[in-house]
Amino acid sequence: MAPPAQSQRSPSPSQPSGKGEVSDLKSQLRQLAGSRAPGIDDSKRELFKKVISYMTVGIDVSSLFGEMVMCSATSDIVLKKMCYLYVGNYAKVNPDLALLTINFLQRDCKDEDPMIRGLALRSLCSLRVANLVEYLVGPLGSGLKDNNNYVRTVAVMGVLKLYHISASTCVDADFPAMLKHSMLNDSDAQVVANCLSALQEIWSSEASSSEEASREREALLSKPVVYYFLNRIKEFSEWAQCLVLELVGKYVPSETSEIFDIMNLLEDRLQHANGAVVLATIKVFLQLTLSMTDVHQQVYERIKAPLLTLVSSGSPEQSYAVLSHLHLLVMRAPFIFSSDYKHFYCQYNEPSYVKKLKLEMLTAVANESNTYEIVTELCEYAANVDIPIARESIRAVGKIALQQYDVNAIVDRLLQFLEMEKDYVTAEALVLVKDLLRKYPQWSQDCIAVVGNISSKNIQEPKAKAALIWMLGEYSQDMHDAPYILESLIENWEDEHSAEVRLHLLTAVMKCFFKRPPETQKALGAALAAGLADFHQDVHDRALFYYRLLQYNVSVAQRVVDPPKQAVSVFADTQSSEIKDRIFDEFNSLSVVYQKPSYMFTDKEHRGPFEFSDELGHLSIGAESTASSQMLSELAISSVTGHASQSSLAIDDLLGLGLPVAPAPAPSPPLLKLNSKAVLDPGTFQQKWRQLPISLSQEYSVSPRGVAALTAPQALLRHMQGHSIHCIASGGQSPNYKFFFFAQKAEESSTFLVECIINTSSAKAQIKIKADDQSASEAFSTLFQSALSEFGLP
Amino acid sequence: MLQCIFLLSDSGEVMLEKQLTGHRVDRSICAWFWEQAISQGDSFKLQPVIASPTHYLFQVVREGITYLACTQVEMPPLMAIEFLCRVADVLSDYLGGLNEDVIKDNFIIVYELLDEMIDNGFPLTTEPNILREMIAQPNIVSKVLSVVTGNSSNVSETRPGATASCVPWRTTDPKYANNEVYVDLVEEMDATINRDGVLVKCEIYGEVQVNSHLSGLPDLTLSFANTSILDDVRFHPCVRFRPWESNQILSFVPPDGQFKLMSYRVKKLKSTPIYVKPQLTSGGGTCRVDVLVGIRNDPGKTIDSITVQFQLPHCILSADMTSNHGTVNILANKTCLWSIGRIPKDKAPSMSGTLVLETGLERLHVFPTFQVAFRVMGVALSGLQIDKLDLKNLPNRPYKGFRALTRAGEFEVRS
Repeated sequence: MAPPAQSQRSPSPSQPSGKGEVSDLKSQLRQLAGSRAPGIDDSKRELFKKVISYMTVGIDVSSLFGEMVMCSATSDIVLKKMCYLYVGNYAKVNPDLALLTINFLQRDCKDEDPMIRGLALRSLCSLRVANLVEYLVGPLGSGLKDNNNYVRTVAVMGVLKLYHISASTCVDADFPAMLKHSMLNDSDAQVVANCLSALQEIWSSEASSSEEASREREALLSKPVVYYFLNRIKEFSEWAQCLVLELVGKYVPSETSEIFDIMNLLEDRLQHANGAVVLATIKVFLQLTLSMTDVHQQVYERIKAPLLTLVSSGSPEQSYAVLSHLHLLVMRAPFIFSSDYKHFYCQYNEPSYVKKLKLEMLTAVANESNTYEIVTELCEYAANVDIPIARESIRAVGKIALQQYDVNAIVDRLLQFLEMEKDYVTAEALVLVKDLLRKYPQWSQDCIAVVGNISSKNIQEPKAKAALIWMLGEYSQDMHDAPYILESLIENWEDEHSAEVRLHLLTAVMKCFFKRPPETQKALGAALAAGLADFHQDVHDRALFYYRLLQYNVSVAQRVVDPPKQAVSVFADTQSSEIKDRIFDEFNSLSVVYQKPSYMFTDKEHRGPFEFSDELGHLSIGAESTASSQMLSELAISSVTGHASQSSLAIDDLLGLGLPVAPAPAPSPPLLKLNSKAVLDPGTFQQKWRQLPISLSQEYSVSPRGVAALTAPQALLRHMQGHSIHCIASGGQSPNYKFFFFAQKAEESSTFLVECIINTSSAKAQIKIKADDQSASEAFSTLFQSALSEFGLP
Repeated sequence: MLQCIFLLSDSGEVMLEKQLTGHRVDRSICAWFWEQAISQGDSFKLQPVIASPTHYLFQVVREGITYLACTQVEMPPLMAIEFLCRVADVLSDYLGGLNEDVIKDNFIIVYELLDEMIDNGFPLTTEPNILREMIAQPNIVSKVLSVVTGNSSNVSETRPGATASCVPWRTTDPKYANNEVYVDLVEEMDATINRDGVLVKCEIYGEVQVNSHLSGLPDLTLSFANTSILDDVRFHPCVRFRPWESNQILSFVPPDGQFKLMSYRVKKLKSTPIYVKPQLTSGGGTCRVDVLVGIRNDPGKTIDSITVQFQLPHCILSADMTSNHGTVNILANKTCLWSIGRIPKDKAPSMSGTLVLETGLERLHVFPTFQVAFRVMGVALSGLQIDKLDLKNLPNRPYKGFRALTRAGEFEVRS
């Protein structure tokens, strides 16, 4: 293996190390600076190349700054590029000298060659020196209006760079608005794409301070903008398509037909040669259909083939990224992939991290019809040269056994592992047999017969040893020489380094004692003595506990230590379903590769723009107004709750406001009282929203008066607060508004969550209710509906 | 959004550094990365996406050069990896092969290319045709030209509006004296045969590669005799989707030069052209190996470049292998390589020998996997056949050439 990298090369004859060479260069550059002789460019090029190669190697050549700038008066584009590169690298540390370059860069920004204009503009913006920003505004402004698309593309990115150097300068020059205009009107797709990425960044970081920016950010996700991008999608380069698809993935269509339109339009993207485009498209499909279970299934079927092709076509690095996404999907819907299990077979040459993912997928997709083949395949890996993979595959066999009903064939295989006489195979298999027996005690006869033949001396790994000892204790009545094996193990107590094993030994010998007292008594005495003298606190305590228990009453001790056991039906899952859902929401991001949601590994400031967590926050104002809302409801209508529903219903009927969907229940509904001071923080809301199923989903009409009153979301918020229904987030513009409400029962802490989308042009409200207490959701819906219908009444 | 790209040599030296955003990534990250790579023994074993204490790193290794990209922001990992792969492709295309020296000799070009390929951390264009218009290739012709004409710039003077045209992948109006187009079907067969000799999995991954030298703006349609066998397809952006959807016809305006028009997958093949039957019997501290190779299913063309290799397990002290045809070599990394070439008519090639196990080992517990390679010229084993290729919009009749080739991909036989 090669020696480790050094951040800087050691001095060697061919490599300049110090001042000598740099000052040499300096004088040579000086000589060339003024000269206009023919062929001078070639010698300049050689020198520049040397300077840049020093820079690349990591030698500080910033002292040449002045000379480099002097030499930069040239028409040669390669020289220019090298110069730009140099300047870009050192300007930040030499802000004073950077001022020298402004002049020639500004001049180049007016060059007649668009290539040079673009390059100069890019370099100008890449100087990143805060006190030079004033010089950027002019060239950027004209760059955005340039008639060449290359210059415009560069200028758009330049605006973003300017924003990061000085946000106020950028906003004051009204650049965001100009970008917005270009985004919607420019003929060049790359310019449009750059505008989109720049605006997304600018507006999402502005959103926290400016309401207008957050509205603009919202508007990026509005129907006309999203459709505009969708219609042009084929013009974009593949990378820009990824960007657009990411945007579309966040769009919430208001009607089902829209979802199908979008999917039809994007379907051919699944066949794109660029894997990133394919994956971004898949994300859009999955997100769009999340609420439509059967369509969601069809989407899985549709994306299966492209994903599998991606896995088999790309380089190992690409395959890995795709496989981690496939892994996520397989874990979510194993049954859909169960017929494709052969794709998850490991290949000899694959790196072990890929094999590991594949083993997990094989475990997940195993079902009645393919278990036999999968287990056969896994057993072949047990003889693999790669020992960690061999271990993993044995564990996989075990996991499959634990999730199946019919384990007949698998048990035989596991027992074969025990006879393979390889220490790590035996060790893994022992642990599995133990788990298996905990779930399927009926197999004890077969297993014990084999386990009994294993000599405990050959087992070294603590986990395996502990498993063996557990079985010796648990099945001591069936294993002829169990007491004697335990006895010999206790004799070697001192040599046993693992506390886990010693703990198991204590328990096992206790169990054995209850079943075969005369044979075990001596061993038990020895074990307790050794345990009491043990330096490990847990071991000592357990020994003492057993000792006193036995002293107190032997039959009680038996009830405590060796009660009749129930077979374990389900083993605890390591990852909660909430986390899995969270990762799924972050499909096509690093979260999937790390198998952790982003909040577990990124700082808040570094998360991508437009995240769900932010979404609730920025949707608006609702969250902060909860405090004031409480005051309001206290002041005004503190006791409306219960009878409000009934009285308002009567009024509705009188006025003929039309609430057709949910007929007012004739038998009075269980009276539902809501807590007017309910509090819920946005985090909890999100979590609950994710966990709970939708208990009611309805659509009802909004009265014309209500529509008229709904000029801004805030109006409805205040109204609903009057009915003890609080808003946690709201957003949207006419005609579409979206609200998240919550309410709590008065007596208990049972919560109702509501998503309400109101379309003012069609005068319809779509309501989704989720509730802790499902049975009350009907009553709550009535309450909500009546509250909504009162909206706009004087 | 990528923040920085480094190119590392195979000894971990930073050959090139390209900062992409205002956030400056320190070089020390490379040292950290290299330590990780060494601790894994081999940078190939390192995951493509890793988290360092400060950044998330994406790495792709090509020809001994590590392309390392850093970011602190959540982004689609496949996009980063895909982009790095494209960078590697474009560089090797541009510089005619890649190694440490080529990069060091041409680092100015590499900087120029990176400058156009990615701006502010977001990929712009990776289409070789567009890049070639903006930055001249450093080939001998251009060197000669620059000497003769005295024009020392290796950049074309103006930037033609290729991106503005409706076919961004095509250079504007190339002219050829001889118009010609070649279509190659290149297939790779992946197969796994288990211990009992059962074909567990057999799949073909194929590509339609086109090399086009056509003047003007030609419009091509390519149709196949049997598209029903294809399981899944992926297209170059030039392919129009509708004709494929309705009639399974590939209709496209080709880029200039060599490109991958389509890739496809055919699964559930029933048989392989050759068989490899290994047999291992061990006992008494040795292991007897016999391997038989022969034709199972004659594809009608000769099968050549056949090799069989396997990794000797660690517990083997020595190996003595001989064959009745071809040569057997034990390589330095304990791989036994049997080169067969073609299968002779008169006999079935076989290799046999004994492996001596470590002292104390009675039997062999680890069973090697035999990796097989072969090549069949002139036939696509999936059965895919080109029906016809029509060209429109061309002044004179072009020359059309078709070829097919199948080779073994991951073809493995377990023992």
